[in-house]
Amino acid sequence: MSSKFDAEKVAEIHQHLHSHLPSESALRVKALETLLVDKGLVNPQTIDAWVEAYTDQIGPKRGARVVARAWLDAEYKKRLLEDAPAAIDELGYLGKATAHLKVVENTDQVHNLVVCTLCSCYPFSILGVAPAWYKAAAYRSRAVRDPRGVLAEFGVAIDDDIEVRVWDSTAELRYLVLPQRPPGAGGMSEDALTELVSRNSMIGTDRNLIKR
Amino acid sequence: MDGIHDLGGKQGYGPVEVDADETPFHHDWEAREWGLAQSARTPGITIDWWRHCRELISPEDYLGRPYFDSWAQTDFATYIEAGWMTVDDIGRFDARGVGAEDDPPPALTLQQVLQEDHSHAHRFDAEVDAEPLFAIGQQVIAASHGHAGHTRLPQYARGRRGTIQACNGAHVLPDESARGVEIHQYCYSVMFSAEELWAEASGRRDKVFLDLWESYLSADKQ
Repeated sequence: MSSKFDAEKVAEIHQHLHSHLPSESALRVKALETLLVDKGLVNPQTIDAWVEAYTDQIGPKRGARVVARAWLDAEYKKRLLEDAPAAIDELGYLGKATAHLKVVENTDQVHNLVVCTLCSCYPFSILGVAPAWYKAAAYRSRAVRDPRGVLAEFGVAIDDDIEVRVWDSTAELRYLVLPQRPPGAGGMSEDALTELVSRNSMIGTDRNLIKR
Repeated sequence: MDGIHDLGGKQGYGPVEVDADETPFHHDWEAREWGLAQSARTPGITIDWWRHCRELISPEDYLGRPYFDSWAQTDFATYIEAGWMTVDDIGRFDARGVGAEDDPPPALTLQQVLQEDHSHAHRFDAEVDAEPLFAIGQQVIAASHGHAGHTRLPQYARGRRGTIQACNGAHVLPDESARGVEIHQYCYSVMFSAEELWAEASGRRDKVFLDLWESYLSADKQ
């Protein structure tokens, strides 16, 4: 048996689920996992391994490494801007949702901001699981319409003469913002530089990174 | 579909709950849902069908329930639609019933999962015979209307004038992929000025870029 892609039926199923699913999120997910395990469709230990992978191994530290390398190595930065999937794969970071990655660079004149207004598309293999605000209606609705207002809520003031470019992830392309290297960070090692790169700066809700 | 999911430009959702916390999961159930979504067998679905099934959640549930909860509800819906489970299965003590598999998937280790993530770098593009209809720098107009199925042209860009900024090759067309049909069509990065999209953006130099398929666009004859 496979899907018939019957949208009317799915709308009906959602109505049933609305009243039939357990009352709390935790219980609903537990019911789903139990059912999938009972039916031989998932292995709970494999779920454990995926959780571990996206808790300890795959996350914004990968993106930060890419950014730090681009700051230090002009040739790497050139490759990253021209063919991001190949450039992140040099570090072994190509993976889920990054086969069509594009890197957009902040400059003194340009600030980039990434959103997915239609769902919650995010470059998983390089930034990990998306933050809660990225998936919430407030951000998804306003990032395209009032990016400066959204940025102000993140404590980021953008001068009027800086152009804000918002990237709405409507296709399978995914975006990573290359933030500017903070002033005074010359002479720092790649490892030290990665510590300066916040997750939010790679989405575009942080701009002025500081040397700590 | 003109559903609740199409949030770009909608008003009234309040300020962003700003958070610099980089913890991936805040509840154990969120982590379980993430992990099972990565690894459970699925009934021959496409990512676009899954997205459409999420869009079909009733507006009150879509907005009112936590994010990963909506993943779980979408998963339930896709399995039930395909006949792999029933609504009545939910909460049964032993729910093997319909669709039980004799060869459950093996337990994967962390290393195996990391390799799988790497091999999950799916590409959605393909070579096609046709040449792209639009050239970089060309002015285009986005379609004025959507349709009842899945589409990736947000309401806020419909009927608006933009400029082709890049051609990204021919990508799987989501509108068809959500019906289980795979065709490839050129997908362009299209630049819209904030002024074109929003009346209140008058005088602002800001831009919004969307990745849009050829059939969503027509040449601007002006």
